[in-house]
Amino acid sequence: MRKTEDGGRDAGGGGRSTAGGTRDAGSDERNTAGGARDAGSGWRKAAGGARDARSSRRRTARGVRRLGRAGGPALLWRVVLATALLCLIGLLPWLSRTDPALTVLKARSAERTPAPEALAAVRTQLGLDHGPLHLLGQWTGGLLRGDAGQSWISGEAVLPSVAQSLGVSLLLMSGALVVAVLTAGAVCARTLWLGSRRRLSGRRRARGGAAIFAALPEFLTASVLATVIGVHLGWLPALGWYGPQWMVLPSVSLGLPAGALLGRLLDDLLPGAYAEPWARAAAARGIPGGRVARQALRRCVPALLPNLGLFLVGLTGGAVAVEQIFDIPGLGRTTLQAAVAQDLPVLQAGTLALVLLAAVAGGLFRIAARLTTGPALRDGALPTLHSPVPPAPSRLPLLYGGLLLGVILLGLARDPLALDTAARLQAPSSAHLFGTDALGRDVLARVGHGALHTLALAVGISAFALVAGVLLGLVPRFSGPLLDTLNAIPPTLAGLVVAGVAGSGAATPAIAVAAVAWVPLAAHTAALLLQERATLHLTATRSLGAGRFHQLRRHLLPAVLVPVTRHALLRLPSVALALAALGFLGLGAQPPSPEWGLLLAENQPYAERAPWALLAPAAALALLGALAVTAAGGVWTPRSSRRGLGRGRGLGPDEPPRAAEARPAARELVTAGTTAR
Amino acid sequence: MRSVRPRPLIAGLLVAPLLTGCFAAKNDSSGGTAGGARLKVALAFPPSENFSPYGADATLLSRLGVTEGLTKLDANGTAAPSLAASWQQENDRSWLFTLRQADFQDGSRVTPAAVASALTHAGKAKPVTAALSGASLTAEPVGKDRVRITTADPDPALPLRLSSPGLAVLSAKAYGKGDKVSPVGTATGPFELTKSTGASAATLDRFDDYWGGLARASGVDARFIADGTARTNALRTGDVDIAEAVPVSQAASLDKGHARETATARTTALQLNTEKGAFKDPGLRAAARAAIDTSALAKDVYEGHADTGKGIFGPALNWADGKRTEPKGRAKPKAPGGQTITLGTYDNRPELPEVAQVLKQQLQKAGFKVKLEVRESSRIEGDALEGKFDAFVGARNTMLDTGDPVSVLASDYTCDGSYNLSLLCDSSVDKAVEKAENTADTAKRQDATMAAEARILGTDAVVPLVHQRIITGVGGSVRGEILDPYERTLIGTGTGAGTRR
Repeated sequence: MRKTEDGGRDAGGGGRSTAGGTRDAGSDERNTAGGARDAGSGWRKAAGGARDARSSRRRTARGVRRLGRAGGPALLWRVVLATALLCLIGLLPWLSRTDPALTVLKARSAERTPAPEALAAVRTQLGLDHGPLHLLGQWTGGLLRGDAGQSWISGEAVLPSVAQSLGVSLLLMSGALVVAVLTAGAVCARTLWLGSRRRLSGRRRARGGAAIFAALPEFLTASVLATVIGVHLGWLPALGWYGPQWMVLPSVSLGLPAGALLGRLLDDLLPGAYAEPWARAAAARGIPGGRVARQALRRCVPALLPNLGLFLVGLTGGAVAVEQIFDIPGLGRTTLQAAVAQDLPVLQAGTLALVLLAAVAGGLFRIAARLTTGPALRDGALPTLHSPVPPAPSRLPLLYGGLLLGVILLGLARDPLALDTAARLQAPSSAHLFGTDALGRDVLARVGHGALHTLALAVGISAFALVAGVLLGLVPRFSGPLLDTLNAIPPTLAGLVVAGVAGSGAATPAIAVAAVAWVPLAAHTAALLLQERATLHLTATRSLGAGRFHQLRRHLLPAVLVPVTRHALLRLPSVALALAALGFLGLGAQPPSPEWGLLLAENQPYAERAPWALLAPAAALALLGALAVTAAGGVWTPRSSRRGLGRGRGLGPDEPPRAAEARPAARELVTAGTTAR
Repeated sequence: MRSVRPRPLIAGLLVAPLLTGCFAAKNDSSGGTAGGARLKVALAFPPSENFSPYGADATLLSRLGVTEGLTKLDANGTAAPSLAASWQQENDRSWLFTLRQADFQDGSRVTPAAVASALTHAGKAKPVTAALSGASLTAEPVGKDRVRITTADPDPALPLRLSSPGLAVLSAKAYGKGDKVSPVGTATGPFELTKSTGASAATLDRFDDYWGGLARASGVDARFIADGTARTNALRTGDVDIAEAVPVSQAASLDKGHARETATARTTALQLNTEKGAFKDPGLRAAARAAIDTSALAKDVYEGHADTGKGIFGPALNWADGKRTEPKGRAKPKAPGGQTITLGTYDNRPELPEVAQVLKQQLQKAGFKVKLEVRESSRIEGDALEGKFDAFVGARNTMLDTGDPVSVLASDYTCDGSYNLSLLCDSSVDKAVEKAENTADTAKRQDATMAAEARILGTDAVVPLVHQRIITGVGGSVRGEILDPYERTLIGTGTGAGTRR
C-alpha cells in the first residue's frame, strides 16, 4: 500500500481522489457523462480503494510545498541561464579572438581600410581596452536604470530600435501563427472528420504529403511567393512592412512548414483520442460529430502546445531569410547584423528580449495546457492517448525510398565538381537530367554526391537530439527553462557562441546544431509524459506495486518514444538546413562541397532563372522527410500486408478491449475495468 | 463545464491593434509640390552610422545629392569645380580655393569661415575620415570668398582628396554639442534630408535655392534594401524608380533597357601571399598567373557584366589603358608539382565564391591542390591580412576616398601599406609608388602611376581577374540618372521620373 501512495504522489502531484474530481476529469464534456461516468466508476473500482482521508490531506500539503519549491528554483535556474547567456555574449569577441574593433569598423564602412590608427580610434571610442568585464558591468548597470546602452555601430540608443524590431517580429509571428493553425487544421482535417464520424478504422494514414510541406525550406517558399505572387501576378505587395496586406506572403512562408509539422503531429494523436471511451459514448448517444471533434482536439492539443510555443519564439529571432527576402525590419535581421558586426549592446539587448519573450510565452503556453487538461492531470485520470491500431503498413516508403535511392545512384555515377562555365544554368536535358547550376555543374551529380554527407550528418545529429531530447524531457523542471532559453537564441548566434567556445573546428557546426536540435523533442517528450503519467493504466500499474523504474521502462518510455521518434524524423530535413545556414559564418560545409544545404544556399539567387537547380535538392529533402514519416508508420511487406489487412478489417478503434493487444499488462486491466458495468 | 479555448483567441484579437503600431512608417509621397514627381530609389547599403558625414554614410549622402565638397571628380578622374569655383597652388603645401556663391539648406551663406570650420571638424573626427587618413590639413578663411588649405606634408593630390564625400561642407548648425554631426538641413546639395526612419528609409525634399538650379524631381524617397533580389523585385513591381547595384544574377530578370551598366573602378583580383607558403616562390606565382583564364570569369560568372582584368586599374580610369606598359621583371613559370594552397574569399558579393570555385578548378588543372575557404567578409579579412591564406580573392575599389589612384597602390602593395593582402614588400615597387606620389603634374603623375602598376604586376603578387561593371536598374520613365564610375553620385538636378502623375 505504501508503494502505491508513493506512485500516486509522483504522478498526480498531490492529486485528490474525490469522486467529483475524477468525474470532472474523465468527462471532457457533460454530454458524454453517461459513458464517462462509467469510466470514472471503473477507475475507482480498480484503484480507488488505496486511499484514505489522512493520506489525502498529507498529499495535498506536500503538493503545495512542492509547488512552492518548484517555482523558486525554476525561476532561479532561469535567471542563471539568462545571465550566463548574456555574459557569454559579452565575452564572445574575446572567446573567439575576433577583434571587435575590426568588425565594427567594417560594419560601419565595408570599404574602409583597417588602418591601425582607425582601429585604435574605434577601440578608444567603445572602451574596448578596459576589457570585457568592465563593459559587461557597465551595460548591466545601465540596464538597471532602463538604459540598454548605445549601438557600437550607429551610436544610437539600443532600446528603441530593439523594441521596434521586436514589435515587427511579434506581428510577423502572429501572422505566421494564424497560417500555421490553418495549415495544421487542413493537414488533420481528414482524420478529424472521419474520426468524429467514427470511420477511422482501417484507413491508411501517414501519406507524407504534410511531411513534404514540413520539409520545405522557408526561404524557398518565400522566394517563390515573392516572385510569382508579388512580382509576376502583382496580387500582393512583396516588399516592405507597411500594413496588413504586406503580412500575407511572409506569414505564409513561415507558417506553412511549421503548420504542416504541427498538423502531422496532431494527426498522429487524434485517432487515440477518438478511441477513448467518452468518444464512443458520445457517438452512441448521438452527440453531433463537430462537438466530438472539438473535444478530441482539446484532448490532443495540450501535448503540442509547448511545441507551438517553441515555434513562435524561435521564429521571432530566427526568421532571417524571410525578413531579408521581403525586406522586413524584424528582430532576426537586427540580431544577425549585430552578431556579425559584434555589436555587443544590440546583441545583448536583442537576446535579452528574446529570452524574456521565451519565458513569458513558455509560461503562457504552460498555463494554457494546464487549463485545457488541468483537472484530469491533477487527478491522474486521463485515459491513455495512443492509437489503438498501429498504422497500416504502406507501400509509400518503398516508393519514396526507391525514388530517393534512384536519384542518388544516378547522381553518384557523375562528377559533382566538374565545372563548365559555358554550360551554366542549363535546363534539364538528356545530358543533364536535373539541369546545371550557375557554374555549369550537373545538379543531379551534386544531389547524389551530397546525399551521403548530408544524410550521415543529419541522421547523426537527429539521433543525438532524440536521445538527449527524451532524457532531458524526463526531467522537465531542469530542462524546461533550459530549452526555453536555448530556443530563443537565434541560430547564427548559437553558431557563433559554439565557435567561440569550441573553436571553428570541423565538429563545430554539428555541435551548434545538435545543441539546439534536442529542444523541440524534449518539449514534446515532457508534454507527452505529463499526460502519460496521469493516465489510468499507470495509476493501476502503481496500485499493483510497480516501482518508478518499472513504470519508466515498461510504460512511460514505450509510450513516448514512438511519437517523439516520428517527430525527430520529421525534423530531419530542418537539421540539414540548419547546418547549411552556418556555412555563412565559415562554419560547416565549404564550397564546392555538394552538401544539400549548401546547394540550396548557392542556388538561391538563381531561383527564378534556374528553378531546377534549387528544386532538385529541395525535392530530395522533401522526399527524405516523406520517407522518414511514412516509414515510421511501418513498411509494407507481403507478410505485413496480410496482417495489416486482418487488423484493419476486424478490429477498429471502436473496439478498445482488443486494442490492448498492442501493449498488454496494466492497460488491459484498466480497459477491463473501464468496460465493466 | 467551463470552456477556456476561445480566450486566447479573444486576447489575441485585442492585442492585434496594439501591434499594428509595429508596421514601418511608409513614406507618403504627397509632398510633390510645384512641378516634378518625387523619385523613389532603392539603395543597397543602409546608413550604418545614422548619416554621419565621415564614414560610409557620407557616400550615401553624396549619391543622393545631399552633400557636396569643394571639388568633385569628373569623368576622367580629375578634380572639377564644385563649391569651389577655382583654385591655385601657392607652394607645395598650401592651396587657395575660391568659393562660388552658394547657400546652405538652412538658409545661411556658404562663407569661407563656414568651409574652414567644416574641414577642421572633419580633420578632428574619430576615427578620422578615410580621405584624411595619413594626412592632415588646416583650413583658414581668406578675404570674403577664399579659403587657404595647408597640408602638413606636400600633397600634389589635394584637390582630388577634397572631392571625397567625407570632406563635405556643412553649415555651422550641423556641429552641435558632442561629436554628433547632423546633415539634416545643413548641406548644400540639390536635395535636403528631412527625415530618416532608422536604417530602412529616408525622405529628401528639393532644395529650391540650390546654386546649380532647380532639380527636376520635387523630392526623393530612398529605401534601403540590402538583399539584391529584393531590390530588383522592388524595381520590377514598380515600387521604386531606380534600384542601385542590381546583382549579376538578377540582371537578366529586368526588362530590356532597364539595366544600365557603368564600368567601375572596382577590380576583382587574386592576391598571392608573397611572404609564406607556396607563393613565396615567384616561379609558382607566375605559374598560377599563367593557369588562370580570366575571360571565362568575365563572360560566364559575370555574364558579360564585367571586363577581363588587364591591370590593377580598370576601364573606369579612362586614361589608364593608353598609358599601360608591359609588366617588368616577371619570373618564369615553374611546375607546381602538387603544392597545396588555401584560397580564401568572402561571400558578401555573391559572385566571389563562384569566381573562387572557377579559379580552384583552373589552378587544379595546372597542378596545384586547392582548398577553399569562404566566410563573411569581416570574419575573414583579419586572417587574410595576417597572411593565413596562400591566395585571396577580393573586390577592391581602386579609387579610394582620396580620389587618387596612387593611394590604393600605396596601401595595398607597399611594405607599410595598411591593406597589403599579398604581404608584398619589394623595394623597387616602393620606389615606383613613391615616385608617383610625389609627381604633381597630372599627365606625368598618370605615367608614374602606370609605371608603378607595371612594377607591381611584374612581381605577380596580384592577378587582376575582372573589372566589374555596376548595373543600375532604372524604371521606364526615369531620365537623367547619373551613372558615376566612382559611385559617388546617382541623383542630380536632371534626374526625374518622367511624366507620371
